[in-house]
Amino acid sequence: MSAAPTAPVSSSPAPTPGKGIRRIRVPQKLRNLELFLLLFVCATNAFAVVIVQFGALGYADLTVVTLGAGLAVLVFAMHIALRLVATNADPFILPIASLLNGIGIAVIYRIDIAEKLTGWESTALRQVVWTSVAVALAIVVIVVIRNHRVLQRYTYVAGLAAGVLLLLPMLPVLGQEINGARVWIHVGAFSFQPGEVAKIALAVFFAGYLVSRRDSLSMVGRRMLGLRFPRGRDLGPILVLWALSMAIIIFQRDLGTALLYFGLFVVMIYVATGRASWVVLGVGLFLAGGVIAGQVLVYVNDRFTNWLDAFNPDIYDAQGGSYQLVQGLFGLANGGLIGTGLGEGRPDITPLAQSDYIIASLGEELGLAGLFAIFGLYLLFISRGLRISFAGQDDFGRLLGVGLSFTLALQCFIVIGGVTRVIPLTGLTTPFLAAGGSSLVANWIIVALLLRLSDTVRNQPRLVI
Amino acid sequence: MSELTLLILQLAFLALLWVFIFIIVYAMRSDLFGQRVRKLRSDATPAAAGATGAAGPGSAAAGAAAAPGGAQRPTAAAAPSTPATPAPPAPKVPTFVPAPGTELSGPPRATTANAGRLVITSGPKNNSEIPLGTEPLTIGRSSDSSVVIRDDYTSTHHARLMVWGEEWVIQDLDSTNGTFLDGQRVTSPVHVPLNTPIRIGATSFELRR
Repeated sequence: MSAAPTAPVSSSPAPTPGKGIRRIRVPQKLRNLELFLLLFVCATNAFAVVIVQFGALGYADLTVVTLGAGLAVLVFAMHIALRLVATNADPFILPIASLLNGIGIAVIYRIDIAEKLTGWESTALRQVVWTSVAVALAIVVIVVIRNHRVLQRYTYVAGLAAGVLLLLPMLPVLGQEINGARVWIHVGAFSFQPGEVAKIALAVFFAGYLVSRRDSLSMVGRRMLGLRFPRGRDLGPILVLWALSMAIIIFQRDLGTALLYFGLFVVMIYVATGRASWVVLGVGLFLAGGVIAGQVLVYVNDRFTNWLDAFNPDIYDAQGGSYQLVQGLFGLANGGLIGTGLGEGRPDITPLAQSDYIIASLGEELGLAGLFAIFGLYLLFISRGLRISFAGQDDFGRLLGVGLSFTLALQCFIVIGGVTRVIPLTGLTTPFLAAGGSSLVANWIIVALLLRLSDTVRNQPRLVI
Repeated sequence: MSELTLLILQLAFLALLWVFIFIIVYAMRSDLFGQRVRKLRSDATPAAAGATGAAGPGSAAAGAAAAPGGAQRPTAAAAPSTPATPAPPAPKVPTFVPAPGTELSGPPRATTANAGRLVITSGPKNNSEIPLGTEPLTIGRSSDSSVVIRDDYTSTHHARLMVWGEEWVIQDLDSTNGTFLDGQRVTSPVHVPLNTPIRIGATSFELRR
């Protein structure tokens, strides 16, 4: 938002003839800052790829850097789009997202080298293609949606779309089961995780729904233990969402997505009503559901065992045991404070090192210092999102901003917490970093929506005295 | 590639990442620490009040009634770090809420049709103007205000100019030092006539055609 507002808005020096009154003109200061940061980011990304090549191959192969330049062109296209249609948008979001995405591509490329994947086999190339699709979609979103309030009209359409997207993987032909979780659809050569896009639709739906219903959800209720609990009949929405997330755990066998959707709803209802009892209720419901699922469902139980008793040799060697988790931890330990250097570690030993375990790969090669820089980038991104919602003018926009930034925060917590053994491991993608097209598309659309929200907010003072 | 070169490259890359983070944190420091306050010199306030008198027709009264602390206790202006001192005579000023139709003579009310700009008539940015739309304008020290006034006399969220059915209305947002329309302290939302000074701290402005 107000990027450098300490410098007073410079008024044009030429006075209007006759009146002696100057008209205030605001230069595109935010966009210039963004341009500077983007140039910095592009240089950093190219540098990362070159270091990977020096470390893993021993020479620099500039064709890959050229490929990255293609991406940079798209990002600058988005920058120009912002100059034209969203002048006052936040200047930090786009550079942070581009940097995370670029580091992700460099690390995926590094693992491709280790696994000797080239051409269309290579995950990095597919990641580049998906990134360009995602950035192009983000440009479309920012150009087409000129006012975020339009989204409020489609509240229930968004709800329906989210439901359909969630059900798609359950269809017999289209749906596909990978590593036990049935969250994929398969069309031609591409597979897609519709649940990732569904989280945006859900955020829109929750925001629209809660804006219209929050009075009844917040005003009435019984007071108990110092908290005002809602009436029985107002519990409908939260119970429906709870049932939905339990259904995801049972039928799609995907803990992470269930936790993400339910957490999103609980936070949005808390922000909309300002009542902590919803959080108490939500956390209680989910914990109860999780414990029951752990008793009944084998795969959930396995996750708990892998988490609590990871270093037990029996569990380490078991099929679907804690091998992956422990290898990731070994990788992190091998990285130490400053890491082995990009291209010089062995992150490819861990299964899925380029997608679910990309944080472990990063931690091994960049070390604690690099990992904390990545966390810092996420922190800045999410704090910008929350700040945009805080300064928002209308309730729908505020709720939507909170929802979108909180999904990212929760997703980071779930996946990084899982890899570092803070919570049981659940399959979710690390936003912007991990290999996976659906996640990239969804997160870049979130970038576009947050930029649109931040432009609608009058964030730049018209006059500073 | 020697190991030393690789180590240096690695350290350089980590340094770049952290430099990026610190550039961002530095650029958004005003969000973290708030706006910097500009200290007014002790003699600046009477001068500004004098300028108000010269600028607008009815604002000699504004200068007198609006700076009660400055008029009665000259030390108050010299110690701007205590702006929270309540201005004693202010509550005695009768509330000025003209009922519709009671205005006999005087400038017409500012509407979205006849008021096109907001002109600063006194204060540091004297003779600046901004175009008026139909959207509300917030005034205060915080950076999310539409018009940011950074002096000791302005509250974080000081006042708001808004449109009530085509007509411009000023509302004081419980500011410490008050908002004065033509010398009268604004206690409830009041219609703003054209060419009438509104004073906030050391700054006065008018709505003009």
